[in-house]
Amino acid sequence: MTARHTRRLLPLLAAASLLAAAQAAAQEAVVVPRFVEETASSGIDTVYAGEWEYMVGGGTAVFDCDGDRKADALIAGGAGVASLYRNASDVGGTLRFERLESGLEVEGVSGAWPLDVDGDGIQDVVLLRVGENLAMRGLGQCRFERANEAWGFDGGDAWSTAFAATWERGMALPTLAVGNYIDRKEEAFPWGSCTDNSLHRPAGAAAMAFAPPQPLVPSYCALSILFTDWNRSGRPDLRVSNDREYYKGGQEQLWRLAPGEAATVYGPSDGWKSLKIWGMGIASHDVDLDGYPEYFLTSMADNKLQALSDPVAAGGPLPDFKDVAFARGVTAHRPYVGDMVKPSTAWHAQFDDVNNDGRADLFVVKGNVAEMPDFAAEDPNNLLLQKPDGTFLEAGDTAGVASTAIGRGGALADFNLDGRLDMLVVNRWTSAQVWRSAEALPGRWLQLELRQPGGNRDAIGAWIEVRTGDRVQRREVTVGGGHASGQAGWRHFGLGEATSAELRVLWPDGEAGAWQRLDADGFYIVERGRPAVAWTPG
Amino acid sequence: MALLGRIVAPFVILVLALFGVASAARADDRAAVEPIRDWYRLTLELVRHTPTYSPPVASRAFAYLGIAAFEALATGDARLNSLAGQLNGLEPLPSREGGRDYADAVVVQAAMADVVRELFSNTGPTGQRAISSFGKKLQAKAAAGLPAGTVARSEAHGQAIAAHILAWSRGDGGAVVENMGFPATYRPRAAPDAWVPTSLVAQQQAPLLPGWGSNRTFAMPDGSACGIPAPPAYSEDPGSAFYREAAEVYRTVRDLTPEQREIARFWSDDPMLSPTPPGHWISIALQVLEDDGADAARTAEALALLGTGMADAFIGCWHAKFEYDLIRPVTYIHRVIDPKWEPILITPPFPEYPSGHSTQSGAAAAVLAGLFGADRAFEDATHVDDGLPARSYASFWAAAEEAALSRLYGGIHFRAAIERGLEQGRCIGAYVTALRTRN
Repeated sequence: MTARHTRRLLPLLAAASLLAAAQAAAQEAVVVPRFVEETASSGIDTVYAGEWEYMVGGGTAVFDCDGDRKADALIAGGAGVASLYRNASDVGGTLRFERLESGLEVEGVSGAWPLDVDGDGIQDVVLLRVGENLAMRGLGQCRFERANEAWGFDGGDAWSTAFAATWERGMALPTLAVGNYIDRKEEAFPWGSCTDNSLHRPAGAAAMAFAPPQPLVPSYCALSILFTDWNRSGRPDLRVSNDREYYKGGQEQLWRLAPGEAATVYGPSDGWKSLKIWGMGIASHDVDLDGYPEYFLTSMADNKLQALSDPVAAGGPLPDFKDVAFARGVTAHRPYVGDMVKPSTAWHAQFDDVNNDGRADLFVVKGNVAEMPDFAAEDPNNLLLQKPDGTFLEAGDTAGVASTAIGRGGALADFNLDGRLDMLVVNRWTSAQVWRSAEALPGRWLQLELRQPGGNRDAIGAWIEVRTGDRVQRREVTVGGGHASGQAGWRHFGLGEATSAELRVLWPDGEAGAWQRLDADGFYIVERGRPAVAWTPG
Repeated sequence: MALLGRIVAPFVILVLALFGVASAARADDRAAVEPIRDWYRLTLELVRHTPTYSPPVASRAFAYLGIAAFEALATGDARLNSLAGQLNGLEPLPSREGGRDYADAVVVQAAMADVVRELFSNTGPTGQRAISSFGKKLQAKAAAGLPAGTVARSEAHGQAIAAHILAWSRGDGGAVVENMGFPATYRPRAAPDAWVPTSLVAQQQAPLLPGWGSNRTFAMPDGSACGIPAPPAYSEDPGSAFYREAAEVYRTVRDLTPEQREIARFWSDDPMLSPTPPGHWISIALQVLEDDGADAARTAEALALLGTGMADAFIGCWHAKFEYDLIRPVTYIHRVIDPKWEPILITPPFPEYPSGHSTQSGAAAAVLAGLFGADRAFEDATHVDDGLPARSYASFWAAAEEAALSRLYGGIHFRAAIERGLEQGRCIGAYVTALRTRN
């Protein structure tokens, strides 16, 4: 090695030492939450069953179906029937659920999303299936009825695998996007047989029915889709994560959704850069607090964390994303327990603050496709805690959630309303599992529910801003993403040591609400144009 | 006369037997083409969708699949000369029972089915389902209208051929691929010219298949048999040969013409997104064979030789890659010329010299030119399904040279790796064209 190269390496070595020291310090600064698995006593006992047609999917819809503001859970059953569980947990107590007869006991369900389609204040549920998809109207008290015909929703007959919803400006009904997988009848040669995804727009501004679906061509076997305002234009576009296993000439996609116009896909001339992965799930969050969402894309082996390449570009950011997963330590490409060196298979992902330190953490559900010998058979779910320096620390094992069941969908939600996020994971061939966040955390928290008049009652598309000191956490209110799983209800924010925080909502039409100060460790109903109202569980 | 009869009779019987077998084989030839082509069609997809199938691994599979098809036919076709004794470690294959009927289509279908099943035993559930479904359909088609005894005997023989080939394959050093070919740990060489990881993929912080160059070769003696001279000495001096080569990559990518960009994309042949470079050449061979209306013997012969040549090419190329362990253009250019420069292709996660596509394309061109002629023009529609239009070539060497240069246009190889790679491929191809497949 030449002296010149030695000189060049010395600063690098010094930087590496400093980085190692900083990482060690950061690790010490991260609080690891302690979870206790309570599956056996919880009452939850639903398996995502089935063979080839159910190798993907396996989701859960987590929402309040009986008006008590506790998160209930619908779990997809695959070839079996889906099951709805009412949350019977006491506040701060162990997790308990009761299976209900709800009208959602349907076979062939791969994924489920809660959505108040008709704006009546009762959550409805969209069931994606291997077969006809179902829009199920909520009747209250956890009862549901088929509403495909009443709402003009064409459920098709495909292998549906992804769902998202948004409200386009002025519409009473949402616009729905359904992602489809391969043609399940192509037994010997399924590659290249991706079924078109579809866009279900309202038949008119005031119409309470959907127009016939518009195909999104080309489609590349979507496993997760999400309406998201990636460039903060005020109008969400449709992000689609596709499984490269089956497409020809495909890639990840971003569709432009201009009002009254057919959706068009962003291309190289728009600045879009091609990415081809085994796309399986999308989690979005403003991880770096720059005001724009980052996107975690699950895949096999390495996962991706995409950030805008130039968020401050003149004229606004282009859809040009760089991968920062390696830099931030969230590639999550192989198991972190045991001696398994084979790569991982990742599905559902979700950003949320599990230790209430004010930084978004990342939860990833893992599991072999079936019995693929080149991929880890025992593939623990990830709980990646964000450190002060923006990198992440794997804590699935130390937190007690390193399940190696064959996971698919999942959710982080405060099931017992104690301010700490609990965990639900749906597994292929074995029962779903639940964990309770069981120990007190030093960090404080807020949980919020948005309300506004009109069809978009839950303010899908709003941005919630929570300010503590000079830090502003921002969260886009979305329906979609993840893997086959969706949530409605409380939006949770960790606050760290702050005893209060300022809240502002940027409503879906762009109107900015007033900043208001809220005490920490509380639940608040935030109704548009009114001061937030505290709600006390129990 | 009686003595003469005793002497001559065995020869007559032998000749008749050979004639009879050969006649039967020729009569069955058309039916036997279909399973060969169909299994290759499926294999091109399996290569694309099985995560361990990087280009070297794919080349190995194509070699064993082609040899299995060829040997399955050769046991019943007196025109064909077995490769046993010519390929390293391949012992004589099981023979057919004299005087019994065999259906070549059933034999070759059974042999290929078993080989695909084992080589792709690690593919995903969709691939497994396709192998099973495909196998049942091809078996039924090949057996249609034949006596049950003939079908059973032919299947058993095909399976015996496959078992022999598979047993041979397991000892070549390439049968087990862990962690998609990336070692769990790797200690890079500490030198300015050494390869360093170029990817942000965590798994690719170690190079792909560093031991592949030690695998048992097929036709050439070993991985070092077609060694190449060292690349230009590493230097950051603008007057050096190394710098000039890097500057050429830099300028070429910066000033790419639309056609050069198209060429780079056409030969990109990325694993998991295409049938890989060896699959690309298999696809070319299938197109040429179809254009010629080639019979089963010709089809199997060409695919066996092409697969063998490319498999040896990857072993020889990998041997040289880890001998020279050279830095990639993107690393050097960032270090010395322009820290913001980016190639248009994804830089593969292993050392630079020589270029794998160049070596294997050189070997492929040598083999195909030997089979179909040095001036055989053809159209290459490999990537039409992926939206890339077909390209036409005046000869196999014209295609190989374009494939090699595509790596310069793509910004992932220096010129020396391209030119020495083609030369290495030509050398390796010569070992394959020296094999005797016809009696």
